[in-house]
Amino acid sequence: MPEAERLERILTAESLAAVDALGPMELVVGVHVSGQARYVGQVLDAVRAGLARHFSGLRTALLVADAGSQDGTRDATSAGMEAAAPDPPVRYLEYAGPRHRGRAIFAILAVARHLGVRAVGLLDCALTGLRPEWIRELLHPVLDAGVDYVSPAYTLAAWEGTLTTNLLAPVTRALYGKRIRQLVGGCAGLSGGLIDRLLGSDAWRSEWVAHGVEVWLPTEALAGGVAVAEAHLGRKGLDPGVQPDVATTLVRTVGPLFALMEIHREAWLDVRGSQPVSGVGDPGAPAVEAEGREPGVERMVRAFKLGLKDLLPVWEQIMPETTLSQLYPLGLLAPDEFRFPLPTWARVVSDFAVTHHERRLPREHLLRALTPLYLGRVAAFLLEARPRSPARIPEILENIGRAFEAEKPRLAARWR
Amino acid sequence: MREAWIDILVTSFRDVANRLAFVAPRVLAASTLLLAGLVVAALARRLAVRLLRTVDFDGRCARWGLTVILSRHGIRRTPSETLGGFVFWTLFAVALLMGVEALDMPAAARLAALAIRFLPNLLVAVLVLVIGWLLAHFLAEATLIAVVNAQVSGAPLIAALVRWLTLAAAAGVALTQLDIAREMVLLIFGIAFGGAVLALALAFGLGARELARDALEGWFRRREGEEPDRTSHV
Repeated sequence: MPEAERLERILTAESLAAVDALGPMELVVGVHVSGQARYVGQVLDAVRAGLARHFSGLRTALLVADAGSQDGTRDATSAGMEAAAPDPPVRYLEYAGPRHRGRAIFAILAVARHLGVRAVGLLDCALTGLRPEWIRELLHPVLDAGVDYVSPAYTLAAWEGTLTTNLLAPVTRALYGKRIRQLVGGCAGLSGGLIDRLLGSDAWRSEWVAHGVEVWLPTEALAGGVAVAEAHLGRKGLDPGVQPDVATTLVRTVGPLFALMEIHREAWLDVRGSQPVSGVGDPGAPAVEAEGREPGVERMVRAFKLGLKDLLPVWEQIMPETTLSQLYPLGLLAPDEFRFPLPTWARVVSDFAVTHHERRLPREHLLRALTPLYLGRVAAFLLEARPRSPARIPEILENIGRAFEAEKPRLAARWR
Repeated sequence: MREAWIDILVTSFRDVANRLAFVAPRVLAASTLLLAGLVVAALARRLAVRLLRTVDFDGRCARWGLTVILSRHGIRRTPSETLGGFVFWTLFAVALLMGVEALDMPAAARLAALAIRFLPNLLVAVLVLVIGWLLAHFLAEATLIAVVNAQVSGAPLIAALVRWLTLAAAAGVALTQLDIAREMVLLIFGIAFGGAVLALALAFGLGARELARDALEGWFRRREGEEPDRTSHV
């Protein structure tokens, strides 16, 4: 941790005193909250129950850091803290600097290291479906099996997490050679050793860390070659509050993913193929389950066609003619027969990554210009998944991963 | 007769010699100034380019999207070389003016003083134009992407309008800075801006009925609670 970021400079004096009063800890769970005043009480209750039920013999604490809420989260947290039993203790972290998720997680990790913990659990308060067992699944592998990073793996409907299934996970798989299912999962378990590595990184100074910190954590673990495992947690419940639009979501997730390709260049350029990561929790939990509320694809196909018609001057700066010529025929397909071949999709993402690397375009423009293409790919994915049983959808996901692995040598050659 | 002839010859020779004696040092001084200006301008260009490269000006321009805009308009040189060229020509123009002043020609009397007084305004005007030009392309591209992502048709038209309005505003500011027909520029700009807004309103309502219909339909659909995009992307 840089000298300027010693704990006394991160926390207010009052918060630091409250943290110091805890004494050495073996395990902490840090909850970062961003506008979930309604849910913070139930999330804290679930974490407390998890710690009490599964880690009663250890010295544990619960940390809460606000990531920029404007809905009375501070008061709701205080109320939850007062109503709760004194054990495990809860501390609300008042930190200096800008209020965003990156800074909140930084404060949690800095406090965890200060307390000398062996493991830390990170939880997004938006995970309203959090169950006490999740705490065990996320932290037991760290404490008992020498795992450094535990990533969540959820059971999803085909239409859920489409950016993860069609871009984030397959790109990560192709780059770092690990078949991780969820890159931004809202929770994770980290070892004390990994915390040291993370806090020593310059990435905290990056502009994308404010929203992209959850992409960075697993990527840093994968690129660093530390032991990574996946915890099968079942269904994920998420606060349906205000979600950013698709373009902003791409900027906040794909942007950091591409930026990290620069930082971890040496770690991924020569990697070929991929390996599964070890799993904990319920191994029988399905990756995909049936969910009857599938959204229509017409709007997505319309977005793709509009992009193909109007955004071509921008796409021409990003993709070579060989890629564009594969996209033109897709604009002629009817919505119900729309297809977006996987090799083409992998090539498109690869071209965007290279353009991001070469800075041929303002990066925000570049990432936002991906939106119609991504929506087109989601439409094709949903149409392909529609007639299949949930048990057969992982085949599609596997094919997506293979397509990106097949594209990898070309990407690496162009990157060099 | 002979004496008169000799007298004329001597007088002519003396006059020419006097004129040459008057002009030659000035021509020599002007040539020296031009040569020195050329050398100083070339050195300043080299220094400027080196300095700009040291502070990673080319990298920063690439990050800000300026490099791609320059190349899109046929400027193949790097931004630091382009700026270096600007430094060269500015200094060389100053040397040229000094040379003209040194010639002491009646037609160019006080030309240098006038030009040098005018130069700061000219530089500011050029800077305003360059910034306006870059801003116009940046805003037009951002508008194009945002409108397409909002799934509104007619994005190229809206983006072009943003580009030309920004360029017109920059040109207006530059001309005002140069104090060229200030009142007329303000009047023309006011009329052009008002006309553009009116044209936009007419185009939106009449020429681009489909676009207007799409936009309004989309707005009403949202107001009437049409199911939003429920896909959870992450």
